[in-house]
Amino acid sequence: MEIETIEMGEKKARFVIRDTSPAMANALRRALVNKVPKMAIDTVEFHLGSMRDEEGKEYESKTPLFDEIIAHRLGLLPVPTDLSLYTYKDKCVCGGEGCPNCTIIYSLVKSGPCTVLSSDMVPLGDPNLAICDPDIPILELGDGQSVMIYAHAVLGTAENHAKWQAASGVGYKYMPVITVKSSKRAQEIADSCPRGVFTVSASGDLGVEKPLDCMLCDSCVEVDGGESVEVVGDETSFVFSFETDGSLSAETMILKACEVISEGAKAFSESVDAL
Amino acid sequence: MIIPVRCFTCGKVVGSAYPEYARRVSMGESPEKVLDEIGLERYCCRRMIISHADLIKEVLPLG
Repeated sequence: MEIETIEMGEKKARFVIRDTSPAMANALRRALVNKVPKMAIDTVEFHLGSMRDEEGKEYESKTPLFDEIIAHRLGLLPVPTDLSLYTYKDKCVCGGEGCPNCTIIYSLVKSGPCTVLSSDMVPLGDPNLAICDPDIPILELGDGQSVMIYAHAVLGTAENHAKWQAASGVGYKYMPVITVKSSKRAQEIADSCPRGVFTVSASGDLGVEKPLDCMLCDSCVEVDGGESVEVVGDETSFVFSFETDGSLSAETMILKACEVISEGAKAFSESVDAL
Repeated sequence: MIIPVRCFTCGKVVGSAYPEYARRVSMGESPEKVLDEIGLERYCCRRMIISHADLIKEVLPLG
């Protein structure tokens, strides 16, 4: 298998994998979606009662949203994850009680009127653990309303809940192979493409400018029944793309996904040998 | 009610895009251009923003 990177950003990756099969591409997709672990808020404590600020104004811990909705919204926030630092809570040295090796604790104390944003979540300990995206609205508070929340983030995978899914928009397509046979109806064919794959040169020749943008829709073939261009998908090469929510970098995710696939294959071969 | 944190379909974080979208569209910018610039490419994420009815202020006194 050969990998050619087209784009490798912090949150977005696009690459071509060659000399492989649909099964391998799909294994990578499934590993990225389901098997790469990340931290997400799992337990939320709501502290009830009234609070008084420095000026003596009294606030009551009540909110326009139900507690379970707030807890769900907190769960979906992207928590920065360093996979070399954290372990699963049930496999941790603390025996599942919660310690800095397996849990990140956030506190959220805020009084209205205001919009509570993800930047108001204060991590206990390292300030680098602040929520990746600071501008996500969590809830809105009116006059005299307040929240006091402790939230515990733990490591998990999307096999258990989608909040532990770091990758979004994970997908692949066959590598488009576009052959230009004639430039007789060049302009017409270039205009028929919804992705702007073709260009027409000054001399009227039809050229393929952005073959990777082709989505194999065959609009260009339908213009004259395939007399000018031929479009097929190469079933051994795939254009792969995905995004992350910011908790892990795109590169870390690919490396971790490959590690998960090879571990799974090794475990399977060992169980076959044991038969 | 309040903007969902993530896109229902693909799971991209869309919550943080809404305040910016609402501010810029109310100032007269085209929604299409704003969504493109925020980086919401797929139509699943775009519908989260354009079809959102921000009614949280209505229920604020009922808390």
